[in-house]
Amino acid sequence: MSSKIGVYICECGPNIADNIDIDEVIEKISSSEQYKNQQLIIKRYKLLCSNEGKEFLEKEINDNELTHLVIAACSPRDHDTTFINICKKTKLNPYLYKMVNIREQCAWIIPDKQKATEKAINYIKSAINRVLHQSKLIEKSLDSNPNVLVIGGGITGMETALSLASDKRKVYIIERDSQLGGNVRFFKALLPQQKTNTDLIEKKIAAVNKHDNIEIFTESILEKSVGFFGNFEVTIRNVNDDQKGNELVVGAIVVATGFSLMPIDKLKKFNYSNKDNVFSALEIENMIKEKGKILLTSGKVPKSVGLIHCVGREERGYCSRICCNYMLKIIGYLLEQSGDIKIKDFYKDLCLPHKNDQEFLDEIKKKKADFIRYTDISIKGNHITYKDIKGTKKESDVEMIILAPAMVPAKGTEELAEQLNIPLHETEFFQEAHHQLNPVGTSIEGIYIAGGCHGPKGISDSMFQAKAVSGKIVTQLIPGKKLVPEVKVSEILPEFCMGCKTCMDVCCYGSITYDHDKGICVVNEAICRGCGNCVGSCPSGAIRAKHFTTGQIYQEVKEAIIGSVKSFMKK
Amino acid sequence: MNSSDKVLIIGAGIAGMEASLMLAKGGKKVVLVEKLPIIGGNVIKNEESYPNLECSTCMVAPIQQDVLQNENIEVLTLSEVEKVEGKAGEYSVRINKRARYVSLTDCIGCGACYEPCPVTLKNEWEENLADKKAIYVPCEGSLPNVPAIDPDSCLQISGKKSCNACAEACMFGAINYTEKDEKIEVNVGAIIVASGFELFDVKKLSNIGYGKLSNVYTAMEFERLYASNGPTSGELILRKGKKSPDSVAIIHCIGRNELGYCSGVCCMYSFKYAHFIKDKLPNTKIYNIYSDICVPNKNYQKFYNKIKDSLSTFIVQSSPEKIKISGNNGKLNINLSNNKDSKKSLNVDMVILSCAMIPSKNSEVLGNTLGLELDNKGFFQIRKDDLGTLQTSIDGIFTIGCAEGPKDIQDSVIQAESAVGEVVSLLG
Repeated sequence: MSSKIGVYICECGPNIADNIDIDEVIEKISSSEQYKNQQLIIKRYKLLCSNEGKEFLEKEINDNELTHLVIAACSPRDHDTTFINICKKTKLNPYLYKMVNIREQCAWIIPDKQKATEKAINYIKSAINRVLHQSKLIEKSLDSNPNVLVIGGGITGMETALSLASDKRKVYIIERDSQLGGNVRFFKALLPQQKTNTDLIEKKIAAVNKHDNIEIFTESILEKSVGFFGNFEVTIRNVNDDQKGNELVVGAIVVATGFSLMPIDKLKKFNYSNKDNVFSALEIENMIKEKGKILLTSGKVPKSVGLIHCVGREERGYCSRICCNYMLKIIGYLLEQSGDIKIKDFYKDLCLPHKNDQEFLDEIKKKKADFIRYTDISIKGNHITYKDIKGTKKESDVEMIILAPAMVPAKGTEELAEQLNIPLHETEFFQEAHHQLNPVGTSIEGIYIAGGCHGPKGISDSMFQAKAVSGKIVTQLIPGKKLVPEVKVSEILPEFCMGCKTCMDVCCYGSITYDHDKGICVVNEAICRGCGNCVGSCPSGAIRAKHFTTGQIYQEVKEAIIGSVKSFMKK
Repeated sequence: MNSSDKVLIIGAGIAGMEASLMLAKGGKKVVLVEKLPIIGGNVIKNEESYPNLECSTCMVAPIQQDVLQNENIEVLTLSEVEKVEGKAGEYSVRINKRARYVSLTDCIGCGACYEPCPVTLKNEWEENLADKKAIYVPCEGSLPNVPAIDPDSCLQISGKKSCNACAEACMFGAINYTEKDEKIEVNVGAIIVASGFELFDVKKLSNIGYGKLSNVYTAMEFERLYASNGPTSGELILRKGKKSPDSVAIIHCIGRNELGYCSGVCCMYSFKYAHFIKDKLPNTKIYNIYSDICVPNKNYQKFYNKIKDSLSTFIVQSSPEKIKISGNNGKLNINLSNNKDSKKSLNVDMVILSCAMIPSKNSEVLGNTLGLELDNKGFFQIRKDDLGTLQTSIDGIFTIGCAEGPKDIQDSVIQAESAVGEVVSLLG
């Protein structure tokens, strides 16, 4: 079938028409030698984005049975989608359309009408050349599995599971430990302000256990995951028995592996031993839950306690967000259990970023606790040496020391990242897809992160993230609905591929695999997002980004250069 | 269409837009109500956003476009919710849609109407640092890129004088002076309140001289001063003296003491300003006067370290309310009385006030309309006894982003996505 190219020039009221001689554009292009073997329809219209304009265009495409379409108008930012949507209403494949901006890039910026007209002609010819080399791309749709795998049975994982599981969607939770609950199991009361009910975690565990559509695998870890959004095949393995495992198919994977506290025995400044009555905050939480009190190893109630914030913060390179708050909570307990206790709280900066935190601080400050800002601090036994804000060295002896070590990712985070092929942040927590815009997504579509494994945060923030993940899944992985993967993907031409695997290293989405039989690399189109990294990296030039091929760009640029050289020569 | 397939979202900032797009993707219909003539909220006032200093416009413009072009989202600008009745799953809502006087379908945003307009006004969106005409878009790059007419100032509409300068200039017949406000009734299953924030009114503080001392700026004024689509096209020129500053003091925690909470974002945006200034004016001396550094995200400390190590001097002043600023021979003198640090006072050319976030102006009215409880700080109250939900005291009404409390973009987006999860569970 021969091509039939439609070129439509929008006057944009006076915006284009006043500074570009559209008649001349039409005349020059339709009389151009290079198109004498093509069927070219070229017309002007007063405003293509208006309702009449859209109807006109739809009719033109249908009546003329256009095979290619070029629109010369405003910025694609304004109306590319408008014209793509028109194509979608007709038989014309939207990938055989090209928009060119002759308003912002010609009419509005070039004062000389003749020059603006020449540039517009150039642009339109480039677009015609490109569109003739574009290929039809067809959107595919894939069946998807609505079930979800949640890795980690702490508060975040359970909350995710509870908000997702339904008759139409099964959720599997795998938990490394022998029981559900994670770190929160050790807390007696929850922030903020110790007032929240303490049986939250028990209630969640009961709800998860009771749920018909949640299946729990304790003492289990992920062994392997292959596939893509809507269709991941995962293998889970029992931690105690290599032979015991399960294979599941799920549409999405949620990582909620939580946090642990930084091991501080390696920090020289903090000699950390319980027999010296030095405890981490988590040990204190545990002690409160078990004994109902904060006690010295001797079993006595401490008369003086030093609390030290920001332990390991400099080494880790981040603030853990919740330590100031839970230290205040612990001070609250101490003050409650004995009235004449001496409390010294050593902090660097008080980080209280939630709207209710400050009130809590003010409440504690009204009672008797000394808040001391330090610039440097170390302990030996329960003897504290510190420098105050002026740099003066001071000392203090207390019966008990409570440390707030930095939160770090849970054990196994690195291995899990490798198995799922998702990146870690420089702080070793999981890396979100975009700091602001996609904070619970990862580089791989269909794999999400939530809670402490994403970065230090409190319980309510973790639960918000759990529901954010569920928000993503319920709006994108709908039971019974097919998924439409990206069509502008990369393809590897097998005859040119040397099998060097360079592309596999640069692919952020894990979409390229190596075919051992053929000795070449292969793109999985369901995973590829069309970023083009592999195209640039391939030493053999074997990879093409569909809709953005070297050939297409060459044709576009060639015409633009020829055009500008011609106008230059005329002078 | 069943009302339970439709969701009302109040506020088209980053949280409201994100929630709208997600719900639309999930097949729900969304009515997105915005009181301003444009969508985008406060984020689009920022040239760049921390910590990656990503161009905010480049980040948000595609989202704005997606919202405007999405078939499942009905965007109502210049609109406010007037009345809400019913219960979860079946709310009936009345919206007052003020006249724009410019047709959203006919106008192409060429801007030919501004110049002929004889009325010049202060541009509030630009923190009054620039003027606008009675027919205006708040700034370049506004979306929808269609102006609105201020009816109280327009000579023709207000009846002060016959004038049709803009209508004459418009080649598309897009202007209609007789357009009327409209009442729109919609039935929805759930409501998400994302009405955002504004900054603490520094005029309430007498010690810092804002309003009297020209070169004392609020954070939002500085944001616009720095913006390339702002009043000075991004040039840092002082109000008084018309030159660039040789020294700048950024004072943190303005309003924290008075309001009783830390906003959690000011430290980071203060560091961003330090970075901006050093980037444009490498020889300018920068001071950060702070009480506590609050950088509560894994991504933030690195940025703080960079500023602290090489771009700014840090001075602790635990009680910012005790700082006094006065004029001193064309300079600004900052008296850091009662400061435990060695420095007692310093002279600078410019002061930037890092102000606390407060609920947006109409929160109380909106709260009354919806019957929602506000907390003691004026933010919308989510359920206290039910950890992890963004549902308010009323079933089926949720609140997200800075309407719920001060927070940054990341946490606002998380809450938006979280509320979508809850809405879909509720409505099915």
